[in-house]
Amino acid sequence: MSGPSASSSSLEAKPLRPAASAAKAREPLNVLIVGVGGQGVIMVSKALAWLAQSKGYEVKQSEVHGMAKRGGTVFSHVRFGPQVWSPTIPKGEADILVALEWAEGLRWLPYLKPGSGIFICDTKRIVPPFACLNRQPGARLRYSRETPAEVKAHVAEGYAIDATQMAAELGNERAANVVLIGALSTALDFPAEDWEKALSSFVPKKTIQVNLDAFRLGRSWIADARRGATAAEQAPLAPMPERSDAPYSVRLEITPQWCKSCDICVKLCPERCLRLNAERVAELAQPEKCTGCRLCELLCPDFAIRVHLDRPVVDATAAQGARL
Amino acid sequence: MNAVDKALLPRLALRLISGNHACALAAVAAGCRFFAGYPITPSSEIAERLSRLLPEVDGVFVQMEDEIASIAAVIGASMGGVKALTATSGPGFSLKQENIGYAAGAEIPCVIVNVMRGGPSTGMPTRPAQGDIMQSRWGSHGDYPIIVLAPASVREIYSETLRAFDLAETCRTPVVLLYDQVIAQLTETVELVAAEGIRAERKWASGAREAYQPYASDGGAIPAMSRPGAGYRVHTTGLNHAENGFPTQDPETVARNLGRLLGKFEHHRDAIDSWQAIGCEDAEVVIVAIGISARAATRAIELARAGGLRLGLFRPITLWPFPEDALRAAAKHARAVLVPEMNAGQLSLEVERILGSKRVHAIHRYNGEPITPAEIAARAAAVLKEKAT
Amino acid sequence: MSSTFVDSAADFDVRDYLRMDMMPHFLCPGCGHGIALRALLWAMHELGIAKDQLAVVSGIGCAGRLSAYIDANTFHVTHGRPLAYATGLALARPDLHVVVITGDGDCLAIGGNHLIHACRRNLKLTCLMLNNEIYGMTGGQVSPTTSETMLTSTTPLGNSEPSFDACALAAAAGAGFVGREVTRHVPRLKELIKAGLAHPGFAFVEVLSDCTEIFGRKNDLGSSPEMMLRQKSDIRPSAYRDSVDTPFRANELPTGILAQTNRPEYGAAYRRAAAAQRASAAAQAGSANAKEDS
Repeated sequence: MSGPSASSSSLEAKPLRPAASAAKAREPLNVLIVGVGGQGVIMVSKALAWLAQSKGYEVKQSEVHGMAKRGGTVFSHVRFGPQVWSPTIPKGEADILVALEWAEGLRWLPYLKPGSGIFICDTKRIVPPFACLNRQPGARLRYSRETPAEVKAHVAEGYAIDATQMAAELGNERAANVVLIGALSTALDFPAEDWEKALSSFVPKKTIQVNLDAFRLGRSWIADARRGATAAEQAPLAPMPERSDAPYSVRLEITPQWCKSCDICVKLCPERCLRLNAERVAELAQPEKCTGCRLCELLCPDFAIRVHLDRPVVDATAAQGARL
Repeated sequence: MNAVDKALLPRLALRLISGNHACALAAVAAGCRFFAGYPITPSSEIAERLSRLLPEVDGVFVQMEDEIASIAAVIGASMGGVKALTATSGPGFSLKQENIGYAAGAEIPCVIVNVMRGGPSTGMPTRPAQGDIMQSRWGSHGDYPIIVLAPASVREIYSETLRAFDLAETCRTPVVLLYDQVIAQLTETVELVAAEGIRAERKWASGAREAYQPYASDGGAIPAMSRPGAGYRVHTTGLNHAENGFPTQDPETVARNLGRLLGKFEHHRDAIDSWQAIGCEDAEVVIVAIGISARAATRAIELARAGGLRLGLFRPITLWPFPEDALRAAAKHARAVLVPEMNAGQLSLEVERILGSKRVHAIHRYNGEPITPAEIAARAAAVLKEKAT
Repeated sequence: MSSTFVDSAADFDVRDYLRMDMMPHFLCPGCGHGIALRALLWAMHELGIAKDQLAVVSGIGCAGRLSAYIDANTFHVTHGRPLAYATGLALARPDLHVVVITGDGDCLAIGGNHLIHACRRNLKLTCLMLNNEIYGMTGGQVSPTTSETMLTSTTPLGNSEPSFDACALAAAAGAGFVGREVTRHVPRLKELIKAGLAHPGFAFVEVLSDCTEIFGRKNDLGSSPEMMLRQKSDIRPSAYRDSVDTPFRANELPTGILAQTNRPEYGAAYRRAAAAQRASAAAQAGSANAKEDS
């Protein structure tokens, strides 16, 4: 594994655009850091903001995290330069987008400056609740299917890092964000020693070493990546695991004689899986989409719908017989 | 004798009490355990008495927000299986009519006291009248049967109140106790007898729920009621209903069920009918009267007979259904019939209907002053003279 | 080892509480009253109230007809009077759970006097008022809760009377429990009715229910689902936005439990006082007898 000095030398050979010095000269530099709650987005932005400030820049950081409970989306805008007015980065103006989660990275791509923006993204996939567009038990999730190579083709400069895996190999999966700080650090011209100083003051004492290792690993990974595509970028994403825990199957019992075609079940079904048939009687048109949420049963003014959740159970007596 | 009667016994000796007081005592003796009412002259004494009596026997007294609420609460209590009473006077009786019709149609037992006062409208609250004879029979809309009892003395208010509860329960019907202000507030020495135990009890449904019909047509038998909580879970409605209690508009079903309702007293007339006939066997003139007018007529008979004029009195105690066969028999040999009443002509209409062939004379008084015995005797004499000429 | 499928559908099946031979009910397509009925029966189920111990008293109108579909002791009484009938029934039979189902016209217009006095009296009763802003059964006439400017059969120029805030009225009259919910939120409505049923005194629950066929059509409020969706955000175009402000209607529509007090329940208080009177009378009689004996 190459040390920080080795990485810096490679960066000197071909500096990444735009350099922090450029920001000092003209416009503020915009760094957008995104991820999901619990990953450490705020820590990354704080470290960057602190460092930028220590270098004499005016820094503005704006974030949303209060509403984003663990697992929800979190983002942080960091802007620094000789003078910064607005605290938020307009669409298409981010010089660097650092994403701690793959789908979050894709979601925020429109913020990246076309033609010059740098995209640094963890390939870690955390399925947010709203990816479950289809809540049918056991159904496939509609998580983004773009491969890193496909994404890379659409940005000026893109890096897909399996930072979580790298951090795990170092002994602490939670240091993935610092692997990404390492990667980010290569895009800015702050000295590596200052980054390490900043990190040491931001992480818990016990984890300083693993975080420093993670930082250095991130820097070196970028250096490797810039030399030639890594295996991770080429490999297609592994298929999303099926939700194997199908706890029940759903069956709708509709009493057609009671249905008065009011359309409430059809229009208020969250999955839109009901319809009125030719006789204007409610029927389950797309049973595979039905999640058994019972809203149609509860809202049917005519008691025409009954939702049954059928669970497979082990026949207790048979099981006992088998043991005997 | 049960405990309730025993408790009441000290009150049931020879006593000087008013008609309204007697009504309250009799209600408790009959097993009434719920009263709802609204203050109105001249019936308020019944409510006042029962507000003290009912808590003593674990009953409930409630003064409701209005006359309609009072009858509604009474029917509600009865639907719960408790014998219930309300008391009012003309204006309140008018207000109660819709719900009296409900009780008649849904066949809910209850007793309504109407102490008659002057009318129309607010009329003369402290003066007697007999203007609700027709309203007590026809006051609610549509066709329905009802029993109306018309006691003429404090003693009879006591006994008829007992009978009112018995008839209400055995015939599943509202029963109106109709008496005038004079008797209500008249204080008489009366010998009251304790009820012989609790008298008639409601016929409760028994047997399988599936087989039970709340409005079954079973010969002339009054259908059994179901007590809430006993597992029958029936529906009671003011809509025209089928035997099972549920609303129907099927002409055949409606005709069958309403027909049974309208004729349901016919098999029970022996228990329902009650009248008093005094000297009708040889009477030249039969007087037909109720309440205070009948009391005056009783005295008029004595006065007239002393003078050689043979008068008789036919007094329907059960006013509705009118004991018409008994009236026909009583008036069979009379040369004339005289109806003294404190209204502009109500009882006389019914008497005319029954005695079609006979000329029916009447004294119609609506100035708040009772008709005197002398007036009745004089008019009877005049009637005979008219007849002779 | 063999395995079988069993139906472990949620515990509550509304059909267990319906008179199945009366179904389907007579309500118009999309009428919210059916949803309110489900919420009531669901609440009953969750409280474990036996059907035999439930007495439902209902008045006249669309809401009044609901009692016929409930497999319980049901009483469909005269217009405006269900609270008065229920007062008698509940006083006579404190062992029963007495529930009144009434509509806005039944409860607030012809029966308004009974409502305020039932609130004041605080007898243990649950009054479920289904408010659809209209006299539906008689053909869509203006009701005491019709919002201002709305069109009805009898307000062709638009209603110019301010409407009642029924909950404010009930609370002002002293109801021990006052709550309001829309039919769209069935579990919340169920919880509210449950709390009302469990309340020891008089409980008034207003259910905002849609009349699609008459009120909706007259006022161009769209389909049943559209009216229902509107409940969520805006309730109805002008509902509860009348010119008259009330405690529970300051241009918004609070739902849930709006007022709750622990005033003594009337029936129990009456019976306690009566029992005390009987006890003291018995004690006096006892001492009188003792005197006679000595």
